[in-house]
This record gives sequence, C-alpha cells and structure tokens, in this order.
Amino acid sequence: MVDRRNFIKLGIATAGAQLLPIRKVMAEDGTPLKHGGEDYSQFSGNQHVAVPSICGQCPSRCAILGYLDDGKLAKIEGHPDSIRNQGRVCAKGQAGAAKVYDPDRILTPLRRVGPRGQGEWEKISWDEALDELTTRLKKFRDAGTPEKFVFHHGWISDSAEKLIDDVFLASYGTGSIIKQTCQQQSARWTAHELTWGATADNWDFDNARYVLNFGSNVLEAHTNFVSLAKRLTKSTVDHDLKMMTFDVRLSNTAANSDRWIPIKPGTDLAVVLAMCNVVMSEDLYGRDGEKFIDFCLVSENYNALPGEKIVTLKKHLADYTPEWAEKISGVAAQDIRQIAREFAITKPACIISSRGAAAHYNGVQTERAIQMLAAITGNIDNPGGRCQAVSAQWTYPTGPKSKPVSRKLSFIDDIASTTALPQFGAGHSVLRRIKESGERPGLYMWYHHNPAYANGSTRETVEILKDESLLPFTVAVTPFYDETAALADLILPDATYLERYDIEAAVSPGQVPEYALRQPFVEPQGEARDFKDVCCELAKRLDIKLGFKSAEKFIDKACKLTIVVKKKARGFRGMQKIGVWHDKKAQPIYFAYRERIENATLADDGVLLDEATGVYWNWKTAEVESEAKAKSIGYLGTPGAFKGYVAQRVGYAAYSGFRPGILNKTGLFELYSPLLAAKGMPGLPTYVEIPDHVKMSDDEMILTTFKVNVQSLSNTGNGGWLTEIHHENPVWINPVSATARGIIDGDALIIKSPLGEVSGTAMVTPTVAPGVLAVSTHLGRWQGGRYASGNPAPFALGDHRHDEHQWWQAGGTHANWIIPDNPEPVSGQQCWMDTVVTLEKASS
Amino acid sequence: MSNNSKPVTNRRAFVQKLVGGVAATTVASSAVALSSAETPPEGKKAKLKSYAMLIDTRRCIGCHTCSVSCKSEFDVPLGVTRSWVEYTEKGTYPNVSRHFLPRLCNQCRHPQCVDVCPTGATYKRPQDGIVVVDSGQCIGCKYCIQACPYDARFLNPETKVAEKCDFCIHRVSKGLVPSCVNSCIGEARIFGDISDPNSEISRLLTTNPTTVLRPGKGTEPQVYYIGADHSDEHENNRGWYDVRITTHRKEKGRR
Repeated sequence: MVDRRNFIKLGIATAGAQLLPIRKVMAEDGTPLKHGGEDYSQFSGNQHVAVPSICGQCPSRCAILGYLDDGKLAKIEGHPDSIRNQGRVCAKGQAGAAKVYDPDRILTPLRRVGPRGQGEWEKISWDEALDELTTRLKKFRDAGTPEKFVFHHGWISDSAEKLIDDVFLASYGTGSIIKQTCQQQSARWTAHELTWGATADNWDFDNARYVLNFGSNVLEAHTNFVSLAKRLTKSTVDHDLKMMTFDVRLSNTAANSDRWIPIKPGTDLAVVLAMCNVVMSEDLYGRDGEKFIDFCLVSENYNALPGEKIVTLKKHLADYTPEWAEKISGVAAQDIRQIAREFAITKPACIISSRGAAAHYNGVQTERAIQMLAAITGNIDNPGGRCQAVSAQWTYPTGPKSKPVSRKLSFIDDIASTTALPQFGAGHSVLRRIKESGERPGLYMWYHHNPAYANGSTRETVEILKDESLLPFTVAVTPFYDETAALADLILPDATYLERYDIEAAVSPGQVPEYALRQPFVEPQGEARDFKDVCCELAKRLDIKLGFKSAEKFIDKACKLTIVVKKKARGFRGMQKIGVWHDKKAQPIYFAYRERIENATLADDGVLLDEATGVYWNWKTAEVESEAKAKSIGYLGTPGAFKGYVAQRVGYAAYSGFRPGILNKTGLFELYSPLLAAKGMPGLPTYVEIPDHVKMSDDEMILTTFKVNVQSLSNTGNGGWLTEIHHENPVWINPVSATARGIIDGDALIIKSPLGEVSGTAMVTPTVAPGVLAVSTHLGRWQGGRYASGNPAPFALGDHRHDEHQWWQAGGTHANWIIPDNPEPVSGQQCWMDTVVTLEKASS
Repeated sequence: MSNNSKPVTNRRAFVQKLVGGVAATTVASSAVALSSAETPPEGKKAKLKSYAMLIDTRRCIGCHTCSVSCKSEFDVPLGVTRSWVEYTEKGTYPNVSRHFLPRLCNQCRHPQCVDVCPTGATYKRPQDGIVVVDSGQCIGCKYCIQACPYDARFLNPETKVAEKCDFCIHRVSKGLVPSCVNSCIGEARIFGDISDPNSEISRLLTTNPTTVLRPGKGTEPQVYYIGADHSDEHENNRGWYDVRITTHRKEKGRR
C-alpha cells in the first residue's frame, strides 16, 4: 500500500497541478466565504457573467441570477439582493439552466399534416403561420364576431397578461379570454374576496410564533415556495415556532411540523368550526379578537355593537363542538380543543391553508371558516399573522384609447348558472362547456397551458380537443411539445422564461413590495419567439396601433409609467442591471385597514355616506347617473358600487377598512356574507357535507393528489435532473386499508371511479390516513419530451450527453383520468380531493 | 452563547476536543500528518485549513435543491450523484416521522479511498483537507468506489474517471461557499474551517450535539450533522417500528 504521508507529498509535487491548481487558499484570508453573487466555471475557472432575472418554473417567480459562460447559460442561482427569496431558488429553479437547451423544444412553427392528434407535422415559416392566423382573425373581425377568437391561458406573467389580454386582445375586440389560474386557488381567492376584499394572502412567518396548517404543503409546493419555506424553517429552529399540520398524508410540511394530525378528506371545515367554537365558548378571543371583531360583519345588522356580535358568533357556533367535529373528521375532540386553545393564546399565530382544505365541494366555506378563526383571535393583517398580500404595483401602457366593445362567447360565463360567484372563471370546465353550449370558437388558442394533462376528466378533455366539429381550428403556443400541443392544428414555438422580457408582481413575504424584471439570458433558440412579440406583429398585420413595437418596448414604457421604478430604480436600464428593487426605507405593511381616513377625503366631491352599511363611497367614480339615484338605491343596491369605495365607518370614525376587490362588499371584514346569503347560501361559515362522501361503502376510498418539491405540475417534467429524482409515483395506502383488501407493498393496483380506471403501484405506508389514496400529480405523462414521457418531440434533437444515461422508464400514474371535472358550487374551483374510488389488485 | 466561550488557540488541542477521547490518538497522528506536509504554497501568509461541513437537519426540508444545484454546477450526468438527499420514514400510524439526510462525500480525515488508490490519483489535500481526484492520474479501476463506506463515489459515465464531491474547490478557492451551501433553502449547511476556532462552524460544533455517519469505520468524517436520524432499514428486524429509506438516486439501497 502506498504510504499515505509520502503520497500526499507526491500529490503536491506532481499530480495534477494543472488540473487542480493550488491557488491562494482564499482570496482574503480569514474573511468569511461569500455565498453567491459571483460564479466561476468549474471547467475553466473563468468568471461567469451574471444577469439578473426572474424564475418562471412555477408561480413563485423568485428573483434569480443567470450565469453565462461564453454566451451559454451555465447556471442559475437565487438573486442575493431579493428581499423575497433572499438568494435562494429551489431545485426546479436550479434545473431551469437546462431548459433553454431542452432537446424536446419546438424550434419552428409546426403545422399538422395528418389527422388531428396523429403526431404528423410539417415545419412552416413564421410568415406562413402568421398569414394563416391573420386571415382567420380578419375574417372574424370583418364578420363582426371577433369573440370567435378564444384565448385560454394558465399562469402567465403580470406583463404578459396586460399586453396580451388587456391591450392586444382588447384592441382586437375579443373578450373570450379564459384565465386558468383557478386550478388550485379559486375557492381560497373567492373566500378572500368575500371576507377581506383582496385576492391573495401572505403568511408572516418572520414574526409568527405558532402556525396552524390546514392542507398546505408550504415546504414543498406553495405558490411562494422558497420565500415562505426559508422563513418558516428559520422561525421553526431559531424562534421555536410551533406548527400543527392537518393533512390526509404526511407531506414534508407535516413531517417538519411539531405534529401531523391526520384528517378525513374534506372535513377540515368541521375542525375549523369546532376550533372557532372553542375560542368563542371559552372566551379565548381576548382583547385582540375583540378589537378585530369591531371590524367584522357577523350578521345582517351593520350597526351591531361589539357585544352583540360576540353573542351572535357564540350562538352560531354553539353546535359545532369538538365532539361533533370528531365524529365527522376523525380528529380527537381533545386534540381540537387543545390546539384551538394554543392557537388562541399564542400571539401572534398564523393560520395557513391550501388545496388540501380548499379543493373540495365545501372549499369556499372552509376557507371562510379559516378566515373566521384568524379573525376572532385577532390574527389578521398583524405582524406574525395572516396578512393581505403586498406586491409591486406596476402601471402599464393601455394601448389604443378607443377599443372596440369587448364581446365574448356565452359559454365563457355560462358557469354562473351553476356557480354562485365564478369570479375566477372556472377555466378547467371551459372545454366541456364549449361542447354543451353549442357555440363554436372559430379559433381556440392556448398559451402556457396544458389542459389535456392538467384538467380532470382527461378522456373527455382529449376527445373535445381532438374534435374538429367542436374546435375547428386550434393553436398551441408553447416552447415544448406536450399532451395538448400534440392535439393542435398549429404550434407556435414560444420563448422560454429564460429568453424573454417580463414584469412580475409576486407576493412579498416581508410585506414590503419588491419590483422585479425578467430579461433574456440568451436569444430564443431556433426560431422560437416570445409570444408577446408575436402579438405585436399580429397587431401590425391587423392594422391595430398598440403604441409599442415589441414586448421590450412595452416593458420599457411600463418602467417609465411606474413612478417609483422610473425615479428610484432608474427605469428600464436600471432594472436591467439590478433585477430587483425595493424601497429600503419602506416599512412592512400591517393593519392597513385601521388607517383613519381624513374628513377632507370624506368631503370630496361625490362622496356619500351609505347609512345602511356605514360605507363612504363616491357615486361619480362608481358611475351612477345622479346623486339622487345613488342615495335612493344605496351602496349595496348599486352594481359596481365598490369601484367608488372610499372608507368604512366603524364606531364614530372612518377607516380605510377592508377595501372591496372585485365584489360589491363593504369595508368590513365580512364573516357574514350578504352576497352569499343573497344567493341562498349560509351567510356565516356553516358546515357543508361533501355529497359524494355522505354514503360511502366500506370498500370505497377517497382519492387525493399532491405535488412534490422537484416538479411543477407538468411544466418541469422534461428536466432530467428533476425527473431523475421523482419518476415513480406509487399510490400511498395505509396498512389498515391495504390489509383489508389483501394488498401488500409493491402490488399492482387498479383504481376505479365512474370515469374509468387507472393502474398504479401500491406503497403501503403509515404516512397516509386510512380510507385515503394519495398519489402525486406529475407523472403518467404521454407527451412532454423524452425524460417526462419517453416520447421525444417531433423533430427533436438527440441529447448525446444524456440520452444513453437515462436510467428510469418514464411512467407512473396520472389520476386525472378518473377525477371528474367538478366545479365547486360557489367559486367553480375544481374539486380535486373529492373523488370516491374503489381499488383492486391487478391480476398478474 | 458561543461568543462567551473561551477561544481555543491551540489548533491541535481544539481538534482533540472536537473529536473526543476515543479518537484522540488517531486525530493526533493525523494532525502530525497534516503538519508534516506544511509547505505553504504561496509564502508565509497561507495557513493550513481544515474544511468541514455541518448539516443542521432540523433546517432541512428535503427539497433536493442541493442535489440539483450540484448537478448544475458540475453538469453531472444522469444516474450518478455527488450530492443527494435521503428520506427516512419510520413509525406506525399515526405516530410516524420523516427525516431528511443530505449526503455528500465526507472528506474523511482517514479516507479509505485514498488508501486503496493504486496511482495516487485520489489524495487528501494538505492545505485544506479536501479529498480530491486527479482525473489525469485516475485509471478508472473503481477500487475507491468499492472502498468508500458512504457510497459517495462513482465512475463518471462520460469520462470514465472516478468522481465525487470536492467541496466545490473551484468556488472555495475564489472565496465562495460550495454550491449546495449557497443554494440551501433552509440554510441547513454551514461550511468552514474547523482549524479556526472562531469560525461559525467551529462554534456550532462546540455548542451543539453532533454526529457523523458510520463512526465505527474510523474514517472520521468531516461532514457533521445536527439532529440526524441514523435509523436504517436493518432495524426493521427489531420489529417495533418500520423504517423506509428512500435514497432518491439510482442506488436504491444504502451501503
């Protein structure tokens, strides 16, 4: 054996001095090592060029730095100056560096040559593609039916939504726009609009002492993942934050909580109501709760005194005892009682929630009850509580001054007949509604969206997309070939988020807004083009004068129009250098509702006090014809009156209050919702059973889905480094449920619902509640590229470095084949977690 | 807390204190080995360092960011890993837990890979204690891969040369922490010089209970853990709780 000591000497003397040069041990000896902000090639030692931008792998939109090595994107890391993600970015963000060079990208416009869905394509030029689109769009417009152009998109950037939806499509004249951000969030957002008038919430983990979690997997898959996970982890270890997680399975969030409390799917509402019962019946609301209840509406009586409100709440909640909730949810009454007490007396405490609680038939009620529990304990909008989200406020160019009257096809809104407040559009059911309505879009285009994979009722969705009698002409705008693009007539290759300009206005976890710019690291590959630029060209071909020539110019203008960016961040050029900007003197925004409104403001021209509700509103801004009419029909009787909202009277003073967002509510925190009551629904949060769960037989189970930390639905499936980690999604089943069915770990399963069946592999594990199946929702792909599905895209490149090393077989279970498209009755939220299934062993 | 503790000035004494009584003799000999190689490459100012990593698993959320940032840093081919995260699940319903164990080369004080390398391609750098592979000298014989008790090495399928984590020497030499430390969302990883008693890692090592992987191997790993769950599947024989390990890499089992 080689003598070690001599060997080391030998090593220094000869071995690899060039390969592993011994540099100065550290540049500044003794100074601590830096984390990031600069980067060097592992191969050449050359310093990389850093370019700031924004990640686009998931809706979190973290600030990033891209590092260029000789013009090629080599690496991505978190932007160290960001006050949101604080220099960190997740596995998906890291893997983004490979996305530009994804071998399954679409690099030229493609036109279908065979039957739809057969996968036979021809490459065409952009000129041909745009000629075809222009001809069709002109035809619709000339016939006076521009609404036949239907545009459907998923999560897109703030600037893309403004440029495409509000400027280009509005100038063209179509209002047939479907914004499918409702897959996961519309129940929660609707509950928020109903209670505090804003859409998004933020959880102040920096200051919280106690976190009560209903069905959020914030440590794996939140829409503000890195920013929140980083803060929550820090507070958990450094500030002894205590966290309780109710979930049907042991998510990583549950695993890192002080306690995981398994719960029957769809019964979070019962537990939350019982906790509200404990807080009220044991008088645990305290001074903070009492103070907050002043700002709450708890009955039809807008002038109720605080004491009366407490009596009303106590009376409403009296029957929701922990013992009652135990029977429904399976959570022990004493646990409910204890956790309710801890939550009420630990200050500040933050209640958090997500799809696990809200993607149910009773989702809006559940989220409203969660708002109620936060409200009665005084944990709304306070440091360490559940806060109204704060984000950057950009001003955008609005395009031509005179736009045609926006027209839309009727199926866009026909959900209103079955859904009380479909404010977020229920985009997941649009295809089915097209089929049922009899109306046919002349051109159906989708962008940043993969409904064939992402929606429920997969078979029906695919059939509709294939059916030329329902959708005569379809266009996919995407950088990658996926399940839905495969069913298009025309594919326009989009730039990835690494190749384009954008503005994002994401939620700031520290309650101080951060302004952020996305900019290209590299030119789009092949002939790919940013779709925003394509819209600018289409506008030109359609003789529409947008007022800007490209997405870059649009964003440049937005930087001029947004005063703080223009003055303090040095506009577009300044943002290009720094990537993110925030006002260093800004204080975190809490208790905005308590801001007093001066008498001078209340005396402004047109401002009225609505005596019935205590709302000060401006009848002129609300576009009412006359003051007399405004007075006679009042604030609540005027459609759109909320646009004129000024202040809310509470006691003898006028406050900023909880400003209405998109619904006609008062400035009070509406625990009692007159809007829901008017629709014949309970005004106060009330227990609602899930109809399908009422009578389940012993052999039936509830199917639930979840997301993992290395995938963003179907968006990241072709990231080899990610799918290498998550490429199997066995079906989680509790040993009790498994034994009852003679199932052992690794058994092949058939899961059946009325829609059909899917196969899977059993993972018998104590980390899921009995009676529940849990399966991740990223796999079972049939398109999406070689790493995602095993199927390369048409005209795909060879990936010589990686192809031969792919060591797993693409596969897995996609539960959406048997989860029906099922809108919840208030918001239209897709009920992902309600499907009742049966299970059997596959015969070998 | 640690600011008040008496600074340890003598490096050898510090290291002994750190590792504890059992290994005291081996540590001493290793310290001698290091000091004997004390030929500062660039003048008198350069001090010998001893780099180590401390992973606070209480802050680990199992997000695999370290794994993927490592893949990106080194363009690591599919199927092989320098850095990975294992999940350890155990218990019976509803009393169950899942712990996360980030893994990488332990940069052992007594690296078994070095002992078996026939060409001298693998060696422990005297100036900072990082175990490296000289790709020019490696003949791809895989002895080191077999010898490593931690399964931290692999043959790069592209270059056919043994590879493993090298604490990102190319970054550390430029004054940057390793990529996994930079990217860790929970800030679970602390990297530094344990020969400097005032470094953050030294302070944390002296003020927290820490463990290393497979201490019985006598390798003296330089990757330390706070709060690590060392349960393994062989404990299933005991019968009172079930352990399930998921490695999240091609090698499904732990060595």
